[in-house]
Amino acid sequence: MKRFKRWMVLFLACLAAAAVFGGCGLGGSDAQEADTVLGSGKEVLRIISGSENAELEPVLETFAQREEVRIEMTYQGSLDIMRLLGEEEIPYDAVWPASSLWLSVGDTNHRIKHAESVSITPVVFGIRRSLAEELGFVGREVSVSDLLAAIQNGSLRFCMTSATQSNSGASAYIGFLYALLGNPEVITREDLQSERLKTQMRELLSGVDRSSGSSDWLKDMFLEGDYDAMVNYECLIIQANEELEARGEEPLYTVYPYDGLSLADSPLGYVDQGDEEKENLFLKLQEYLLSEDVQNEIQRTGRRSGYTGVSEENRDVFREDWGLQPDRVLSPIKMPAADVLFECLNLYQTDFRKPSLTVYCLDYSGSMVGDGNRQLTQAMEQLLIQENAEKNFLQASEQEVNILIPFNGDVICTYTAVGNGSELESLYDEVKNQRVGGGTDMYAAAAAGAEMLKGYDLSQYTPAIILLTDGQSGGSLYDFEAVYESLGLDVPVFSIMFGEADEEQLEELAQYTNARVFDGRTNLTEAFRSVKGYN
Amino acid sequence: MKTKLMGLGILAVVILAAVAYVFISSSQTVTEISGYVGGEKIGFLEDEEVTRILEDDYRLSIDYAKAGSIDMITADTANRNFLFPSNQTALELYRQINGEPVKSEIIFNTPIVLYTRSAVAQALTEAGMVSLEDGVYFADMVRLAEEIEAGTAWADLGLPQLYGSITVGTTDPTKSNSGNMFAGLLANTLCGGVADESNLDEILPRLIQIFQKLGYMESASSDLFDQFLKTGMGAKPLIAGYENQLLEFAAENPETWSQIKEDIVMLYPTPTVWSSHVYIALDEEGAAGIDALLDEEIQRIAWEKHGFRTGVYDTPTDAEHFGVSGIAGELTQVVPMPDADTMDQIIKALS
Repeated sequence: MKRFKRWMVLFLACLAAAAVFGGCGLGGSDAQEADTVLGSGKEVLRIISGSENAELEPVLETFAQREEVRIEMTYQGSLDIMRLLGEEEIPYDAVWPASSLWLSVGDTNHRIKHAESVSITPVVFGIRRSLAEELGFVGREVSVSDLLAAIQNGSLRFCMTSATQSNSGASAYIGFLYALLGNPEVITREDLQSERLKTQMRELLSGVDRSSGSSDWLKDMFLEGDYDAMVNYECLIIQANEELEARGEEPLYTVYPYDGLSLADSPLGYVDQGDEEKENLFLKLQEYLLSEDVQNEIQRTGRRSGYTGVSEENRDVFREDWGLQPDRVLSPIKMPAADVLFECLNLYQTDFRKPSLTVYCLDYSGSMVGDGNRQLTQAMEQLLIQENAEKNFLQASEQEVNILIPFNGDVICTYTAVGNGSELESLYDEVKNQRVGGGTDMYAAAAAGAEMLKGYDLSQYTPAIILLTDGQSGGSLYDFEAVYESLGLDVPVFSIMFGEADEEQLEELAQYTNARVFDGRTNLTEAFRSVKGYN
Repeated sequence: MKTKLMGLGILAVVILAAVAYVFISSSQTVTEISGYVGGEKIGFLEDEEVTRILEDDYRLSIDYAKAGSIDMITADTANRNFLFPSNQTALELYRQINGEPVKSEIIFNTPIVLYTRSAVAQALTEAGMVSLEDGVYFADMVRLAEEIEAGTAWADLGLPQLYGSITVGTTDPTKSNSGNMFAGLLANTLCGGVADESNLDEILPRLIQIFQKLGYMESASSDLFDQFLKTGMGAKPLIAGYENQLLEFAAENPETWSQIKEDIVMLYPTPTVWSSHVYIALDEEGAAGIDALLDEEIQRIAWEKHGFRTGVYDTPTDAEHFGVSGIAGELTQVVPMPDADTMDQIIKALS
């Protein structure tokens, strides 16, 4: 075995030399470009992580600087991370999902080593304080049924992440299932067949104002918009409150649904690909994160860390006037076994959630010709052909509406498909067969999309406009604003940046509609997949 | 032209360096062997003293991938030299599938225990499921199984802050050893002896019911124990694990242990079962691991730092250094695990 290693070294050395000689690098990996790079050393640790850990970047930065290494953070939903673990190649050195559930379920090939929980945070409801008081949720134990009653009579609406994309959404949803099923010891497949459950769950999820594919962005979106409540991690409610208080706005009151609570234990694990130096660097980082000082620092971000609960000096972070209960015994529901869990998620995606109403505005201007158009077609194939979509829990439901607006300098045409059958899949033919050519005016396309939404009762859908463009757009934001204002509704315009698109134009549009921009330049299919996870 | 020359220069340097590396490293003859290991032994295998003795005295280095004891028997063993599961059933299963291994040997043992928090231990004691003798807590398996089957709620024991009914959290018995052994122990308890063909029909449905209540289960004992310590009483009020897990934790983290020891309680089930950590060599290279791990010094480290009992019925005489109260001396109430065929049927019924 050792001998083999030595020859490998020789072989690699020759390869390296050849690369120098030939003036090209060794083949790149499929890793997405990192979202954040911390430190500037030569040695790199690539971590794929749940978005909630973005709040820990300062802690990681300190380590990267001290050790003179580079930490590359790529943020994805826990369910994406789970799926990644099942793939042949994992182009990362460490995984850091929100909950160990996804590690256990995903790591069927036993490639994850040294996984340890870094901190704990429960999934809770954060409700505008005055509303929480009005609903009688302050200073008493609240059950999921209490919340459901408030949702049913229309006095509570909330934002939550998609249960099939993000851990916080999945956890909350499983909590709802327990409560609606009358709190069985554990959920079974038979339980899920109940008609009563279907009706009640649809009703409950109809209270969802806005969805998101990521917990951290849900918090950001919440802070930008005008919403009453969100389901999110306790630590992100704390962070949102710090921001709200700094702005002089009303904070959120934290409600722990006692019969539907779940915990995120934030495990950091090493992806074993046989690189000893990497492994040592990983262990050093883990030791650092678990050291007493850093655990304390992490606790100050609102996470429950260490073995002994929230310390005296950090009680000021877990403020009781925000409803936080640092001493609460967190007694979570039991997560169902893997097969039942996936059945739950499938039902959410295809039946229980509010149907999506998605308008795709796709750029067919001249610059898309050739490779650009090919990539676009491939990406849309992943969303519209249901067999593909299902692999990523992105399949459509029966009530779902998908609208296609191909554009160049003008809107070329509009197509509408209802449901998850042949209409939807035939949209893909339209995507494939569009002719490419002409200029670019994304504002006209987005405005046409908004115009089309007028025909629907948007309270019954999770609406979104998904816009892909690859160039500087003609027209102006004002053209779009005029239509959007008249619509008087809260519909995000998510855009996917491609080719030579003008980031500033897209950001402006995203900000205006409280949405976000996705970068499709390195992997367009991945970008489409992420953005679809937001509605 | 200039860049081409420079490229040639770099090429020469790289080749020289590689040749030098190959030359220098061939003067050392440490053999790396690789295998699947149950998670609870990782601390031991990563112990610097252990790795040093392995390298200095046995010219061995051990690389591993974590896998459940049952999982590893059917896992892809290409490029692996050994398996190191945590029970003898795994060895029996291995024999059934692959025939006699190149070599196998028990390296050390540890009993299955239950872990809980002091408030829960107290409630269980008051309810008559747990007793305290000479500072050691014993859990009456028959009484415990009765309450689990009856669906008694934690709230009925005076613990309303805990969600749901009494269960013992375990790892997935179809994937991991501690869960598997606890399932064997429960099967024994339900039939009032050692489970086998004659009583399986009666106990399987009951066993299935008990495990169904657990929902999703961790696939490694170390993860379950880590969660028990970190997520607190509410999430994991009572779990099954190995005695060595707590001893190792206390030895490795004396400061943390001193902060939490008042709250953590180890219960010895009566009867209990031994987890025997058996090393299965898949080839000659792997077989070298057996002699090395039975090294007297390594065996001492296995007990003192990692809490493994090194001799089947060994009674530890020197346990003070752990700072853990309530370590049982000799364990008299031990039952054998059901045989491999019976366990196989139990696993199938539970998967």
